Amino acid sequence: MFEVDMLFAFALFSIGLFGISSNRDFLRIFFSLEMLINAVILMLASSAHYLGLAQNIAFAYMVMILATLEAAVGILIFAAAHKFSKVVIADELSEETL
Amino acid sequence: MNIVLLTIALVLAITSLSAKKSINSLISFALMMLVLGVYYITLDEKLLGLFQIFVYTGGIAVLMLFGITLIGTEFPATKQSSWSAVLAFFIFILMSAIFLLNSSTLEHIVNETVEKKELFAHSFSDVVILFALIGVSLLYGTIKMIHILKPQRRDHV
Repeated sequence: MFEVDMLFAFALFSIGLFGISSNRDFLRIFFSLEMLINAVILMLASSAHYLGLAQNIAFAYMVMILATLEAAVGILIFAAAHKFSKVVIADELSEETL
Repeated sequence: MNIVLLTIALVLAITSLSAKKSINSLISFALMMLVLGVYYITLDEKLLGLFQIFVYTGGIAVLMLFGITLIGTEFPATKQSSWSAVLAFFIFILMSAIFLLNSSTLEHIVNETVEKKELFAHSFSDVVILFALIGVSLLYGTIKMIHILKPQRRDHV
């Protein structure tokens, strides 16, 4: 079962990677980033459960906190960029547009 | 049961990236996080599952909802690069191959474990600090977002 869990986590990581590399709008990039981070949390949780590595759960909490901070800061950058320049596409954001 | 939950999570992940309307995308994203939280609870990691549900399905989904109020219900039309699907598939195959080739070495790790109760008995206060950090960051994001959106609402009035 551990192998199956890890394969699902790899699949989720790949979907997130696809989302980041194929999309240009901020919200989809945020969704994809959260998927990448959740794939890592899934790997840590399943390894803690099946291999008995309890310290991985502590790492999972740390990763979750970093993801929360990243989401809060990222969405604020997006809101500020939209307020000053009405930009919703990451490629269009530059010093001139701000 | 576990495979069903993980398959649902993957389908919801694909739906959240492929949906045309941003609100449908957000609903799929929140449901995916909920399913992953339920999966952690079935793995007997109840606190991690509750963290997942509270933080992602609750907090981050609300922050994303603020983002949707800015861009509207439709995603902007952008060009999608064709090589990204090939790259993602290649990375999936590469990671799976490396993991399956080296999975036999993981069996040696099992003997060198720390008791979970022992780990959390000494660090209960750390868990409370983690809750506080998450709460403060989400609260800060929400307050700042309301502050950023305020002048726009005045303009519309």
